Amino acid sequence: MNILLIEDDTIEIMKLQRMVAKHSLKHNIIEAKNGEEALSFLESSERLPDIILLDLNMPRMSGIEFLEILKKDARLRYLPTIILTTSENRVDLLKCYEIGIAGYIIKPLKYEDYQGKLEKVLAYWNVNELVKG
Amino acid sequence: MDSKEVTLLKRALERQKKARQQAERILEAKSKELYDVTQHLQQTNNKLENLLTEKASELDGEFINIIDPYVVMDLQFNVLNMNSSAKKFLGYDHTKETLNLSKIVHHDFMEYTVQSFESLIEVGSLQNYRAKICTKNKTEKWIQINASIIYDSERKPIAAQGIVRDITQEMEVKQLLSEQRKQLDVIVENSPLSIVLTVDGKIIKANQTFTELLGYSERELKQLSVKDISAAEDVASSKELMDKMNNGELDKFAVVKTYFKKDGNPVLAKTLVSAVKNEAGMVDYQVALVEDITNQKELENQKEKLLEELEKSNEGLQEYAHIVSHDLKSPLRSVSALASWLSEDYSDKLDENGKFNLQQIQEKVEGMDRLIDGILRYSSINDAALDNTLIDLNEVVQDIKEIIFVPEHVNIKLLNPLPSIRVDKTKVHQLFQNLISNAVVHIERSPGVVAIDATETKTHWQFSIKDNGVGIAKEYHEKIFKVFQSMGNNERSTGIGLSIVKKIVNLYQGKIWLESEVGVGTTFYFTLKK
Repeated sequence: MNILLIEDDTIEIMKLQRMVAKHSLKHNIIEAKNGEEALSFLESSERLPDIILLDLNMPRMSGIEFLEILKKDARLRYLPTIILTTSENRVDLLKCYEIGIAGYIIKPLKYEDYQGKLEKVLAYWNVNELVKG
Repeated sequence: MDSKEVTLLKRALERQKKARQQAERILEAKSKELYDVTQHLQQTNNKLENLLTEKASELDGEFINIIDPYVVMDLQFNVLNMNSSAKKFLGYDHTKETLNLSKIVHHDFMEYTVQSFESLIEVGSLQNYRAKICTKNKTEKWIQINASIIYDSERKPIAAQGIVRDITQEMEVKQLLSEQRKQLDVIVENSPLSIVLTVDGKIIKANQTFTELLGYSERELKQLSVKDISAAEDVASSKELMDKMNNGELDKFAVVKTYFKKDGNPVLAKTLVSAVKNEAGMVDYQVALVEDITNQKELENQKEKLLEELEKSNEGLQEYAHIVSHDLKSPLRSVSALASWLSEDYSDKLDENGKFNLQQIQEKVEGMDRLIDGILRYSSINDAALDNTLIDLNEVVQDIKEIIFVPEHVNIKLLNPLPSIRVDKTKVHQLFQNLISNAVVHIERSPGVVAIDATETKTHWQFSIKDNGVGIAKEYHEKIFKVFQSMGNNERSTGIGLSIVKKIVNLYQGKIWLESEVGVGTTFYFTLKK
């Protein structure tokens, strides 16, 4: 799968890469440091990612702002977007589901727990039929 | 003629003379008598004439009524005649004692009486003399007299006659009425509410509060209609209601409307209009109670604005708490990940001490994470966020039993079925979970028992959660409810749990306290308002 990871925290990016590498999963991770970067990638790229993992709290454009733009875009709106955040704020959760998301994952404190959760998420999307833009 | 004859003749003449003299004397006496009789007759005649005038005058009295007391007096107020009704009323009898009417007039009315009498003499009659008198048995009476003068044949006033009416009751009623009217006036004039009486939109009467409110005098107001002092936008709706009331569809109605003062400034007022109906059921008057709510409204607006601001600042605070918690949690996740990777990647290079230190980093990070969660939960407890629904507490306790870790040796039981109460589900869950897990954690002995019970008072529900754990020393009983005050013997404790509990109990206007003995156990009690 082509995974677009929108995340400003270097360690968080390392976490996902380490997890994918360790399990020798055949996933390609595209990194974007924030919403704007992600949008410019999506608009310029020939091939769209299969899923998006989106952090909520980012400088400049927040995850929710990015999501709103994404869901209004006729071409991009079909991309399954999974929220990956530390925010347990119910307001955020409701807002995201309202706009339209494919999942809401809270980052656990321990790396082992993170690994366990993300394995399941990737495995799930791996068996899904994807849009393949 | 012989001497005998002469003598006889002389004697006869003498006798004749004497007889004539006697006859003259008799005649004189008779004549005197006759004169006297004539004189007497004349006098009697005069008297009769007077009496006749008197009678005529008496009969002249317009108000004659045999039931009413009737009195004739001379010009010095001495009673010459009175009827039985007068005797009964006054208690005096002129045939048995002299009665001077001036003596029974109440002293407050003496001057008035003198004046009235002068006018009576002058005009010949007097109507509607009203005074207070004192009857023989010392009771005060209000009387009304219509009187007229009695003249002799030469039109000289010789007496006065009058019909007396007892108006005591009438005066008492009148006085009572005036008293009541005065009282009513005092109430109306001193009412903090404006009171206005109207007929067909015209102002008939208004109390001082209303005149002061609008700055018009009552006289000015009487020239105005309600419409003149009302804001144009309120006229149509008021008229509609007024029509409904006049049709009998409404007995009263309340509106909030704007009036204009004389100086042009608006007054916002709550106005309650009621219909005053006559016996036929028609509306005679409308009485309006007007309450100036300009300030009240302003205060309300202020309050609303403050509430809005408070809500916003609360929301802001919530938001802030979430952001801070996120910003604190993210680096913790990084630290935790890095520490994990160190021990994973360099396990063969680290000695026991290094591994132990990395383990310590993980534990500290976990503690910090719990603390942040606790602060976030604590800060999100506020009134505005309460969503109260009927919650079955038995289910809540059942859920908690499944969520928290309960060691084998501890048994959580309900002494009685718990009630269903109207609360916020999340909050009541937090409340019970914190107390139950506190109890469970602090039980060392086996078997451990956590017993939950509920009782009901008039205003509150009271709950108790009892354990046979380590107990809490007396000096900590107050302290443990304060934020960050942990008992310190448990590394996993953040010191926020009981603060959250107290905050929730406070939200439901309840109290929380505990009974505890070190080594025996602790019972937490708390109440929640129904």
